[in-house]
Amino acid sequence: MIELTIDGVATSVEPGTTVLDAARAAGAAIPTLCFDGRQDPFGACRVCLVGVEGAPGPVPSCTTPCRDGMVVDTRDPTARRVAGAVVELVLSELPGPPAPHTELAAVARDLGVGEPRWPGAVHQPLHDDRHPYLSFHHELCISCGRCVRACDEVQGAFALTATGRGFEANVVAGLDAGFRESTCVSCGACADTCPTDAITEISLLEVLP
Amino acid sequence: MIDSRFDTTVTTTCGYCGVGCRLEARVRDDAVVSIAPALDGPANEGHTCLKGRFAHRFSRHRERLTTPLIREGHGFRRASWEEAVALVAERLGAIRAADGPDAIAGLASSRATNEDCYAMQRLMRAAIGTNNIDNCSRVCHSPTSFSLRKAFGLSGATGSFADIDRADALIVLGANPTEAHPVAGARIKQAALRGLRLVTIDPRRIELADYGVLHLSPRPGTNAAVLHGIAHVLVRDGLIDEAFLAERTEGFGEAAAVSAGYTPEAVEEISGVPAADVEAAARIYGEAREASIAWGLGVTEHRHGSDVVRLICNIALMTGKVGRPGSALLPMRGQNNVQGSSDMGALPDTFTAYRSVGDEAVARSFEAAWGVELPRERGMKIPEMFDAAVEGRLKAMYIFGEDVAQTDPNTAHVVAALESLDFLVCQDIFETETTKYADVILPASSFLEKSGTFTNAERRIQLVAPAITPPGEARTDFDILLTVSRALGHDMGFETPEDAMREIAALTPDFAGVTYERLGRAGLQWPVAPDGTDAKILYEREFSLPGGRGRLAALPYKEPGDAADADFPLILVTGRRLQHYNAGTMTRRTANLDLFAEDFLEIHPEDAERLWIGDGELVSVRSRVGRIEIPAKVTDRIEPGHVFTAFHFPEVRTNLLVGASADVHTSCPEYKVVAVDVRPMPEVPAERPVLAQV
Repeated sequence: MIELTIDGVATSVEPGTTVLDAARAAGAAIPTLCFDGRQDPFGACRVCLVGVEGAPGPVPSCTTPCRDGMVVDTRDPTARRVAGAVVELVLSELPGPPAPHTELAAVARDLGVGEPRWPGAVHQPLHDDRHPYLSFHHELCISCGRCVRACDEVQGAFALTATGRGFEANVVAGLDAGFRESTCVSCGACADTCPTDAITEISLLEVLP
Repeated sequence: MIDSRFDTTVTTTCGYCGVGCRLEARVRDDAVVSIAPALDGPANEGHTCLKGRFAHRFSRHRERLTTPLIREGHGFRRASWEEAVALVAERLGAIRAADGPDAIAGLASSRATNEDCYAMQRLMRAAIGTNNIDNCSRVCHSPTSFSLRKAFGLSGATGSFADIDRADALIVLGANPTEAHPVAGARIKQAALRGLRLVTIDPRRIELADYGVLHLSPRPGTNAAVLHGIAHVLVRDGLIDEAFLAERTEGFGEAAAVSAGYTPEAVEEISGVPAADVEAAARIYGEAREASIAWGLGVTEHRHGSDVVRLICNIALMTGKVGRPGSALLPMRGQNNVQGSSDMGALPDTFTAYRSVGDEAVARSFEAAWGVELPRERGMKIPEMFDAAVEGRLKAMYIFGEDVAQTDPNTAHVVAALESLDFLVCQDIFETETTKYADVILPASSFLEKSGTFTNAERRIQLVAPAITPPGEARTDFDILLTVSRALGHDMGFETPEDAMREIAALTPDFAGVTYERLGRAGLQWPVAPDGTDAKILYEREFSLPGGRGRLAALPYKEPGDAADADFPLILVTGRRLQHYNAGTMTRRTANLDLFAEDFLEIHPEDAERLWIGDGELVSVRSRVGRIEIPAKVTDRIEPGHVFTAFHFPEVRTNLLVGASADVHTSCPEYKVVAVDVRPMPEVPAERPVLAQV
């Protein structure tokens, strides 16, 4: 077992446990965006940053394994500030505030991020409703990779692909011909994990809060 | 998190296949708007498929039965519950008085809850007085149940789906999990991607074959030969577990003597599987530290399906690969509660937990609980019911949640049987091919509208909770069965399904510790001890047979009931499609129909070219007993000499082609081997078979 301290409380975990899992097991709330417990940790969004004593800067808790003697501060001010800035940048590219029920909205609330301070280009609406159950709203994609990993690691259909770079980064089914023309098996794991409703169930689009 | 888009979110268990996904049904205005997988579902671990997640709109489909219907002339008229139930009680009572209780038979449904099935068998046994009760597991996994009981003692998987993650090797035999059990299929696929050594054995090159290390394509009906070949190599190469055989089994000598005759070369002759592939399969299984075997209806729906299940048990016993994490035998149960409907005693020869109706002590315990005398003779199995109806011995049937006119084999015979009955009650959520012959139709509930429990393919009893109310005047099946029983003079004394489970637990040692409270979110895998301890793995120390030893069987390969000949040169195999579920009454009433609208006959390019059949062209498929028309799909997923289609569509009526051949021990129909003649349509004058003229 590995002994470490999280937010001042001593705890012990199995070797291989990530700081995120250890912290959550110890009752600490760390916001995440690209993390889904059904998938391998990805470490892309930098929202789960925490402070570790002796580290040069905040570390992503989802991909950092616990080490003996580690002293973790999940409320490290630098880590929280950077995570908030990351979320604010993500929001600044969206055409509007995230729908209140989404994970992105919950994370923004959690980090105290409101209206982004940075104006600039926002994604224009681009929808694909050719599938009877699943709908793409590409302008809401934040390239967290969760849908692609759900498709690969949970279902194994390998139907979704990350495309584009920078501001153009997005996700497509197959060769961008829609779900139906891809290897999609309509399991819906992508919509289930999507934190922004970029992929969502058509039946939910009809339900207003 | 409270989501203001929904009025409520109800955790329940999926009503589709036997995987038993735990689901979160999100409800608004008494309709399900969305279903998500429960993150803590033990069988699905936060995943589900397009049936469980999306195919729920059938529950509010305008064709739902919303009031009782009574036959009037060539149609039906709406009736009140009072009138319909009174008519059912009067007619069944009159037939019982005139022809005896055995002139009446009932079918329980493997889509219904344990409590529904328990009430149904109690209705037949206690209110009517007959053991003529059966359920649709007759036509799918009855050979599995029969043979697992003979080899190991209990009728259920020896382990759990989680064993797939712990196994070093897995044989998938006669199953297509990525389509028929998608969440288990995804689990197998992910395990294979991580290094599980996967062997697939199926006449079709199923999707999982692309992820395995070895695929065998035996001729339909020759599974037994392949398993003998594997056993032969295991013994010959010393891959058996001598200590396990000596301490925990009996019958090895006789079994090995039979397998000795099946050299890989002899097996190649019988099955068409190259001898080297038989050797490789045996080595992959035998050399793995932990190896599991999963099988489906490609094993059971044969003339000698029960033998094949025994031979599966044989190789597990020979290698000691049973009763340990990662070494499990996993029958892929087809319907959500096909395990439970049989556990509940909805069978002609057993009470709950497979205890014989002839067992005096058991029968007396039920007599004492129900306050009636019970017959000790076994009742009729489903095919026997239809034979008896045609012969005039069976006068009435009560069919609950089953569309026998579409899903049972030898459709013309089934229809003749239904037409021969004096009185037919159907209890269903939609009109079906079967309800066309009914005298009374009682509107019932879908799984989204009822409470109770389902038991999945891992023996896991899981709670079902109502998310919405039944439409119109439709009632829950449990309520209907209680009402009919009361009208027949037998008050079951239950208020809720939970009351029924209390009685089941009190009367069934294997369910002794089952309470709804203990089932909670994760369910329990039977047998459940009085203190609530359940059994993830069976037979860790001993088998549940007298003496505690597992029994190997000495059963030679026997030929299937049908074979290709000059007149019927191709072998038809039937199965499922990902998007649909059995009779399709539910999935065809959802947008799954948009994803898969019309079925087709898969045929190999060589056969298609020889027969002048082009991709997408309509073909005539004729067997010894029937004929259908269906578009062809030319694909090399199937071997030359074989064709494949599903049975989801009443427009196709695939089961018109399937004859009366069945498993010799359990009467499970031989859906998987039907000799057919396939021709392009223009050569045959277009005439559709005439059926269902009422």
